[in-house]
Amino acid sequence: MMRSVINQFLGLRLSGNCSVLVTQVRDKGHLSRPRLRNPQWFLRKEITKYNDLMTAENKQFVNEVGTNNFGVPAVIKDSLVKTEAPTANEAVWTPNLRRCGVIARKIGQYPLWLKNGERIRTTLLQIADNHVIKYIPPEEYLPAQVPKVANLHKRGCILVGSETTNPALLTKEYAGIFRNSGVLPKKNLARFIVSPEAQLAPGTPLTVNHFRIGDFVDVRGKTVDHGFQGVVKRHGFKGMPASHGVTKTHRRAGNIGGGGEKGRVWPGTKMPGHMGNRWRIIKGLRVWRINTKYNVMWVQGSSVAGPTGGLVYIYDTILPFRKNKEAPPFPTFYGEPQQDGDDLWYEQLHNFKSESITYENE
Amino acid sequence: MNLSTRVMLNRLTQQCAYKRIVTFSTKTAEHVIENQKEQKKEAPPTTPTPPVNRKPIIPANYRFVYPEFLPDPNVEWRNLVREKLERLDMLDRRKQIDLPEFYVGSVLAVTSSDPHAAGKTSRFVGICINRDRCGLRARFILRNVIDHQGMEVVYELYDPTILKIEVLRLEKRLDDSLFYLRDALPEYSTFDENMEAESLEEGAPVPVNDIKVVLRPRPWLERWERQNLRGVANIDEYLKDKHRLSSAKVQKPWEKYDMMKDYRSSIPEEEQTEIFAEVHTELHALELQRKRNKRKRTFIKPKQLA
Repeated sequence: MMRSVINQFLGLRLSGNCSVLVTQVRDKGHLSRPRLRNPQWFLRKEITKYNDLMTAENKQFVNEVGTNNFGVPAVIKDSLVKTEAPTANEAVWTPNLRRCGVIARKIGQYPLWLKNGERIRTTLLQIADNHVIKYIPPEEYLPAQVPKVANLHKRGCILVGSETTNPALLTKEYAGIFRNSGVLPKKNLARFIVSPEAQLAPGTPLTVNHFRIGDFVDVRGKTVDHGFQGVVKRHGFKGMPASHGVTKTHRRAGNIGGGGEKGRVWPGTKMPGHMGNRWRIIKGLRVWRINTKYNVMWVQGSSVAGPTGGLVYIYDTILPFRKNKEAPPFPTFYGEPQQDGDDLWYEQLHNFKSESITYENE
Repeated sequence: MNLSTRVMLNRLTQQCAYKRIVTFSTKTAEHVIENQKEQKKEAPPTTPTPPVNRKPIIPANYRFVYPEFLPDPNVEWRNLVREKLERLDMLDRRKQIDLPEFYVGSVLAVTSSDPHAAGKTSRFVGICINRDRCGLRARFILRNVIDHQGMEVVYELYDPTILKIEVLRLEKRLDDSLFYLRDALPEYSTFDENMEAESLEEGAPVPVNDIKVVLRPRPWLERWERQNLRGVANIDEYLKDKHRLSSAKVQKPWEKYDMMKDYRSSIPEEEQTEIFAEVHTELHALELQRKRNKRKRTFIKPKQLA
């Protein structure tokens, strides 16, 4: 926060008339630069693994207990949640309320077809073992790093965890986050800024039924880290010819500006630098299809940030024309999800179980 | 006393031997063999019948018949849940339409619905020159020469607008892809649109057509001399020494010994059997269905006279 304040002051410049003039900053690289060290509030998650003098059999036994209790992350084990059935919050949805989001993993991409024969590309997101850990009401929520959300003082925060893990591998401080929640420690945590009406009790499971088919979602993820890259890969410049007398400048940027009054490098000029490893939100993706057995949703497009297997966060979209018009499951889906049976398909989508597409004469 | 102890010992050894035979090792341990020898000497051998667990027997040719069921071997793109869901979708589609066995070099006829065609369907006959990609995005390219014009159509195998795929001639060629037909004389990729399906005997191996294609003179679309093609007859005609030298330079004869490369670019056999064991029963049922339909088609009911 301090750094951003300093940057804001640097952006202000006093001109001759004593009126404040703001220099244009086009690239926000200084805001989302990959951090080199952890922030002050950082809690270490995993313990240091010492080489304990355990026999192979004992080690195997400990591993077995771990996998038996915390094995397959995709399956929600309600028996591991200690709280008595979380009380359903029966608030009424209105369009201005903000719901909780979920943590998911990007598990791949494949095409689906619409009923008019059009082929669309979809990304599969698996919502693995999500549980609410904690709800912090607006008056108590004073974060070390203030998220950029309008009316933050009126909003609460829900802490959500995903993928139960073996607590023997975690530090005491990290496991302490889960102490009063009744949920076993999770691998991944995320906080979601919500309206107080959308609060959830600790231990509430969040499944793919939190969203409906046809809804639009925003998906936040960290892009693939490419490291320090040149201008051709980073910004898609053409480079220069391979031959015809060109020497030593085949993949270089070329000119970066004029002289005279503009005789300097303008802010935001595209140059070589670090590529990827940035948080990016892709907004307004339609949920085409939902599988409640594996908690998977098929989402429009193949531009969700991050590699296959990477973590992403899914929110209701904030785009004004794609926002929910009808009430979604609010504050979340409390019923029993149908275990087996067909997936839920959006009406425009071609189900592979139905017959081939044919066109009719008009 | 002495005799009775001997009998007891014998029985004990027999029991022990029996217990040891039931182990899961494929090699027979030494002591077992020794014991067996003793048994043969002293007592008639008992033949234990261990219970046999039968797994579904997966035909060895499945990885060639259904190559798209094997996922992309790139480790960064793999995910077991995604692959499983994709396979279920593929099977669902296969229950709707008969997607037959075919290879690069087979002649196919694809009927697909097309909003711009006259009868809203179009049929294209051609030779399959390439098959690639895995899962739901599996596709193949058909090539034909129509009105002296080479035509190629890319079809996606699981596209629901495809209505019917017929195999007119089931055969393989000498190469894995036949892109060189683009630079060959047109008669090698010309097929009659009204060609009738040639039937193979049931259970017969897929024949390999060892035809050698005659190339047109340069310029070519690709440097065919570098690709070690077996199905081209006259490539030496058009090569100068500089071409031979440059193609010798880019050859990588050591790659066939590169086990790591092979490992990275293929799905291990254990995983293949796992994948095919999952889909085998359904695929087999579909195959039986296809055979039944075929017999129905070939059998013509004699007309009743008088």
